[in-house]
Amino acid sequence: MQCAESLRVQAYFDGEVDAVSGAEIERHADHCNECRALLEDLQKVRATLRRDVPYAATPPKLRAQILRALDQEGATGLRIAETPPATSRTARRPPVFRGRSFWTGAFSGIGGAAIAAAMVFFLVLPGALSPLTNDLVSAHVRSLMPAHLIDVVSTDRHTVKPWFAGHADVSPVVADFESQGYKLIGGRADYIDHQRSAVVVYQHGPHVINVFTWSAGNLRNLSNTTRNGYHLAFWQQGDIQYCAVSDTGWDELLGLVRLMRAEG
Amino acid sequence: MDDKRARFEEQVLPHLDAAYRFARWLCYAPGDADDVVQEAVLRAFRGFEALRGSDAKAWLLAIVRNCHFTAAKQQQRRAFVPLPEENDEVDGHAMVATTPDPESDSIRSDQKKVLERLLESLPEEHRTVLMLREIEEMDYAQIASVTQVPIGTVMSRLARSRAALKAKWLQDVEGVPRAVR
Repeated sequence: MQCAESLRVQAYFDGEVDAVSGAEIERHADHCNECRALLEDLQKVRATLRRDVPYAATPPKLRAQILRALDQEGATGLRIAETPPATSRTARRPPVFRGRSFWTGAFSGIGGAAIAAAMVFFLVLPGALSPLTNDLVSAHVRSLMPAHLIDVVSTDRHTVKPWFAGHADVSPVVADFESQGYKLIGGRADYIDHQRSAVVVYQHGPHVINVFTWSAGNLRNLSNTTRNGYHLAFWQQGDIQYCAVSDTGWDELLGLVRLMRAEG
Repeated sequence: MDDKRARFEEQVLPHLDAAYRFARWLCYAPGDADDVVQEAVLRAFRGFEALRGSDAKAWLLAIVRNCHFTAAKQQQRRAFVPLPEENDEVDGHAMVATTPDPESDSIRSDQKKVLERLLESLPEEHRTVLMLREIEEMDYAQIASVTQVPIGTVMSRLARSRAALKAKWLQDVEGVPRAVR
């Protein structure tokens, strides 16, 4: 016995629906016990997996081996250009990436087609236009201009956190993860989502990561997205909404997200 | 270093860790995963021109998946499929978390083992979709690209794997007293 709305509720949970459908689903869940329970279960499963599944990194030995293989590849690549391509198994071309064209594929499956067709009406493409996303990217870019990055310069959490008390509406997690490669370099007050936002600033290699925080307010499902080459990772901790913004890679950005979540 | 290599290192190699994790979830044997990842990175490098500005992570993971299936087929042809063994756990050292675990009491580590076994017991295509969503935090569109199935299938696999995990695990383990939470 499963409510017919369960897949839509799941899509809502995964941040894949637009605001209108989201509100509709929230109204539905208000008086559907099954879907309310489903939302709780989804949250439990997610929390468990994110807490207990090891987030493995490539073993250094394998990484070195791959880099060596790439070196050889570069050297042999020149020779291959002059001679007919080898027909060995390893010379096979990789698949041509279909990218976002799965939308056409979505209708070709048999079982999935009906569901997919039903879903198309409320699924939004990732990175759908959102003023909040634009605000965050603008604030990040603005912060990188001279003298805008940091209001309180400190690598000490005990200096940064109290500073926020007088300058922002929220008190976010502040911790230094220098040993993991994310150096706390300070904090800043900004204005996001009509609130005084506290921004924790990290340095990761050559990249600056701004972690914007503001009061979460009503349940809003923001999903990670990329805008103008900047990645935005969203999450909530308690009643605080977090968004980490940077031009670093997703892995690096999500590495910090993970650390901050563990701290909270 | 030539230009292609530099661009490859900048655009694709940042996703090496994700590719490695994905291979581990596909193969479940560390040695096999190493081979698959290396082969995938080399193939990606040779076909780098095909990327053309699309999502590098989804692209690389799709290649990892293809390499895994190629390798699996070859193993079947040789009629030799290694079974998971007790001592695989010794080889599991590479799955060490990169973040320090503040709560490493024995209950938690028991729970982690139970969880790992349950994940292993899920059908592969369900497990991978679940991990891509929850651990790699990919959206439905990216998962559909990686696993080469329609988005509706991604959704139903996600729903089924989550329900299976919840039914098997949460009931099991929540009977055990918890030190935290």
